[in-house]
Amino acid sequence: MAEKSVLVVGGGISGIQASLDLATRGYKVYLVEKSPSIGGRMAQLDKTFPTMDCSMCILAPKMIDCSHHHNVQLLTYSEVKGIKGSPGSFVVTVLRKPRYVDETKCTGCGTCADHCPVEVPNEFDEQLGMRKAIYMPFPQAVPRAVTIDKVNCIDCGLCQKMCQSGAVDLKMEAKEVELNVGAIIVSIGFDLFDPTQIPTYGYGRYKNVVTALELERLLCASGPTGGHLIRPSDGKIPRKIAFIQCVGSRDRRFGTTYCSSICCKYSVKDAVLIKEHEPSTTVSIYYIDLRAFGKGFQEFVNRAKSEYGVRFIRSSPGEIKEDPATKSLTVWYEDTVAGRIENQEFDLVVLCPALVPRTDAKELAKVLGASVDAYGFFKAANILTNPVDTTVPGIFACGYCLGPKTGDIPDSIMQGSATAARVAEVLERV
Amino acid sequence: MKYAFFLGCLIPARELSYEVSVRKVMPELGVELVDMKGANCCAPFSIQSVDYSSWMALAARDLAIAEEMGMDVMTLCNDCYESLLMVNNILKRNGELRNKVNELLSEVGKEFKGKITVKNLVDVLYGDVGLSKVKKAIKEPINGIRVGAQPGCHLTKPKRIHFEILRGFSELDSLVQATGVESVPYERKEMCCGGPLRDINDDMARQISRQKLSALKEAEVQAIVTVCPFCFLQLDLGQLEIKRHFNEEYNLPVIHFIELLRLGMGMKLEDWEIKAHRIPITELLKDRL
Amino acid sequence: MAEVANTPRGKGVLLCIQCGRCSSSCPVARLTEEHNPRRLMEMVIMGFKKEVLPHQLPWYCLSCFTCLDRCPQGGDVGEVMFAIRNLAVRQGNVPAGVAGQAKALYETTRVINPVRSVLDKRESLGFSKISNEGLEEVQKILKKTGMEKIVSST
Repeated sequence: MAEKSVLVVGGGISGIQASLDLATRGYKVYLVEKSPSIGGRMAQLDKTFPTMDCSMCILAPKMIDCSHHHNVQLLTYSEVKGIKGSPGSFVVTVLRKPRYVDETKCTGCGTCADHCPVEVPNEFDEQLGMRKAIYMPFPQAVPRAVTIDKVNCIDCGLCQKMCQSGAVDLKMEAKEVELNVGAIIVSIGFDLFDPTQIPTYGYGRYKNVVTALELERLLCASGPTGGHLIRPSDGKIPRKIAFIQCVGSRDRRFGTTYCSSICCKYSVKDAVLIKEHEPSTTVSIYYIDLRAFGKGFQEFVNRAKSEYGVRFIRSSPGEIKEDPATKSLTVWYEDTVAGRIENQEFDLVVLCPALVPRTDAKELAKVLGASVDAYGFFKAANILTNPVDTTVPGIFACGYCLGPKTGDIPDSIMQGSATAARVAEVLERV
Repeated sequence: MKYAFFLGCLIPARELSYEVSVRKVMPELGVELVDMKGANCCAPFSIQSVDYSSWMALAARDLAIAEEMGMDVMTLCNDCYESLLMVNNILKRNGELRNKVNELLSEVGKEFKGKITVKNLVDVLYGDVGLSKVKKAIKEPINGIRVGAQPGCHLTKPKRIHFEILRGFSELDSLVQATGVESVPYERKEMCCGGPLRDINDDMARQISRQKLSALKEAEVQAIVTVCPFCFLQLDLGQLEIKRHFNEEYNLPVIHFIELLRLGMGMKLEDWEIKAHRIPITELLKDRL
Repeated sequence: MAEVANTPRGKGVLLCIQCGRCSSSCPVARLTEEHNPRRLMEMVIMGFKKEVLPHQLPWYCLSCFTCLDRCPQGGDVGEVMFAIRNLAVRQGNVPAGVAGQAKALYETTRVINPVRSVLDKRESLGFSKISNEGLEEVQKILKKTGMEKIVSST
């Protein structure tokens, strides 16, 4: 008799969808997430395309559902360490890293963080803002509990002294738990290509060259600047912004020869967002091909051009140079339609990097015994007949960890539901 | 360490002092350079532009000579380096092409076997001799000078040649700094000196050098350090040509990297070698020469 | 386009997506509108043989390989330049400087030779002689590859 329980690895939107679908059907779901909170990339975004809905507003209710559903158990700040068994009866070893805070007692009041003397760059804000050593990763975090980053913590004990609920437990230890599950779903998502690999674009050297994810954090009201789009170098409002597409994508030099499929879409979304904020801003998108497929998207691009005045220039820029005095950037490009080589100055340059497999994907694949493809994404058992099955029976995958199939939010949600259906199907047959 | 010493054409013809410095410095670092008898021109880009199979055959002949000597090749000029390196790699991997080239070489009793590698001066100093040995050989460090190192196009681009990774700037910078000077970063460090356009379109060649020299001047360097003799020519003599045509002066002395090493090792330059620098180096290196 | 694509160095013309990264990186293209690697590829792809081969265009390339360093798809216009030049030379389009070097190579095994004073200095230093030792072999090879004919006709 198959275990009527499922392990979902990765608490982003596709993992959350899969968890809720299965939980509603009566399956017990263990949702394991490496970071202190579920939510994933969608929690970092400001608005989604092309509907321009607030990302967190769509995501948060689903996150709350996960935390309240009687069939879902959240194991955040945890990692999968080993598996044994076969479909219907896996035994998974999960390492629960110590957050040094009792989740059941913490009320999320934040007093501890207020008093913590240690400040470090905030990963959630893509290192643009700061957090304390004891921190809530973002305001809508689920579970609503703080975590102590022991690497940077100086053990002063102030948080423990200040906590009104006695939730801080500085002596907490890591725990290994064994879970009996019938099936496993992998939904660990993606990382960004590191643009320092393209020195000529100046990322890492020039302060006003940022990635699109950093831009999202700057645009987001819960971000390091409270939603005010300002230049990292001097805090001034950028009047001229450039988006550079295909930074790493479609590029044989780095092995990321595929198209990441969502960058054209989100850059137009961000361009429109910026124009709505401040219509006088000049926004230029430098593209090779504008891939605006699917419902509503070409229309969105047309509106961006005609209604909002976003400039589209067909060119992959060769170089970006910084003016040492103003920290503004000069982008060298050829307007390939006009056949002219030109340069233009911008206050801010946004790079749209390739989306790549997470650095820990290979390790997880090894633990599970699943195959990855040449790029490092989880390989589907058969792309036509079993697109959400991995190469291991009983283990499924959804979302961007499967690769840039279409990769946007609705697709990730669809794939989450697809894996849930597959899991149910398989477990009812075993 | 022994190498088949590929001199190339430009150095013996116009930069004899470069060769002198190499022959004085390398033995001190334990490197023996053996002349390649009967070697021909490497077939630089001008010749490659004329005919493909001639390029392959000419370069392969030189490689065959080195193979007969049983040594890796060391080149000085970047053009020579990339020409021989590319042919070596292409022929090693492409059997069909190798057979065709060997057909040509058989006419002169030679055969390309693919047994050796092609190295540049920087490769040999950084990789084989090693940075620490070079540092130890510096008896009189040259302190207090800011230089802009010009690695040249063909030491650094394209980053992947036929599956081998060409180096970046750091190797040359480390070697340069071992002598005591400060290798300063500057914009457009990767950019060409303009040399290849000499005799084809002199005006354009000058304009490119101008861009390079302005970037160097902006970074406030006091001297330029080159590896490739072509870069040396273009940036040294080139400054006089730019003065004549554009009425602009940069006053940036250019010095071969190996000369810098020689000075750092406590040796002195002879008068004729000092005079070989069109932009005088006497002011900057007064007590060191 | 097929003519260029069928040469060992010209294959990249089939992969070019006309993104313009090469041209916006090219130091020469920045200086003059005349030279534009992307446009040159476009002309080859479109079959503008008459416009490309007799032109000065391909000869402005520095072979600095900045374009090759940055091309995302393998168009490798810096390499294709050589294929174009090889074809151009066969039509008699070769700059005087290049022709001179080719001739020198055929006659002396070197593209540029030291003058008397330099040779004397060399001797005084005790360095090996700059000889034309390999001349016979080089000429044999170049006769076979056809370069000898090209040299004599320019």
